Amino acid sequence: METEGTLTRHSRVDRQAVTDAVPLLIPAVPFGFVLGLAMTESDMPLWAAWLSAPLVFAGAAQLTMVTIAGTASLWAIISAILVINSRHVMYSAALAPMFRAQPKWFRWVGSFMLIDQVFALAMLRSDREPDSFRRYYVTTMLLFAMTWNVAVPLGMVIGPIIPEQWRLDFAPVIMFAGLALFAIKRVPAGIAALVGGFVSLLAAGLSDRLGILVGAVCGVVAGAIAEQRITALKARVEADL
Amino acid sequence: MSHRAALLVLVAATLGTYAFRAGLILLLADRSLPVAVERALQNVGPAVLAALTVNLAVGGDGGTSVDIDAIELASLAIAAIVGLRTKNLVFMLSAGMAALLVLTEIF
Repeated sequence: METEGTLTRHSRVDRQAVTDAVPLLIPAVPFGFVLGLAMTESDMPLWAAWLSAPLVFAGAAQLTMVTIAGTASLWAIISAILVINSRHVMYSAALAPMFRAQPKWFRWVGSFMLIDQVFALAMLRSDREPDSFRRYYVTTMLLFAMTWNVAVPLGMVIGPIIPEQWRLDFAPVIMFAGLALFAIKRVPAGIAALVGGFVSLLAAGLSDRLGILVGAVCGVVAGAIAEQRITALKARVEADL
Repeated sequence: MSHRAALLVLVAATLGTYAFRAGLILLLADRSLPVAVERALQNVGPAVLAALTVNLAVGGDGGTSVDIDAIELASLAIAAIVGLRTKNLVFMLSAGMAALLVLTEIF
């Protein structure tokens, strides 16, 4: 155990994190291309669109931003971005228990890169010791930051050459579907996903993509109710035995 | 869009998003939530990601119609089956994209 400790102290990279992240990194590349292409076609100045990759670091919101930049009012653009990214409040709440045992600097820095994929992976490894969790989180967040900041500018350059028939615009949809699917480990989580998706479909007509937030909140509540019912049911069955 | 307006959007998006991400991590650093709440938060991932997927798929940006066709839906279903079987996102993505291209070609 001691030798293993000395070894890992030298290598800061968490191998498990790399193995876990690669399947999620590859689909992020076509997403980056789609976004890069949209930036070149956007009414938004290129420098501002590009800077959103390292600064905002949220693909769905960035894509909406550059798409509606030409037509929507300033406040409509800002509120659309904020509505789409409001889901991160829930990520922040869910990861707070894991961050409680972390140093202060990491709470500030780590949360800057709390993107969907990093969240999904971190939740899967939430039972790790604080040091090990931090190494895992840092490795994944750096991998995604690097990939994103290469893929988006690359998409600005080669995006216009990619044939539209390749339908790269559909890749992000499959990517997020996969993230959702793999996050389901228990029955209440499955119910949360079903309700979240269904309500989001019903609410798809709401402006500023508010449907995401409405669906998400309903999903979490439904999951909690399911959890409660299942626990009560189990208790009753046990009492009968 | 003017450079000034773009800067304003960029600053608001950056600060707002960071506040969302860091807010509760920083606020809840020294206190704990009730057990029931912490348990409910376990379902945040599936609920949020499913809602996001559906919204992106149907293009729910306040448009009038729900915009996803049968081919896209079928491709997504094929991707989901492959995803459930392989538990690998790369296989899932490849299957979904291949299905989309092939089905578009056929129909």
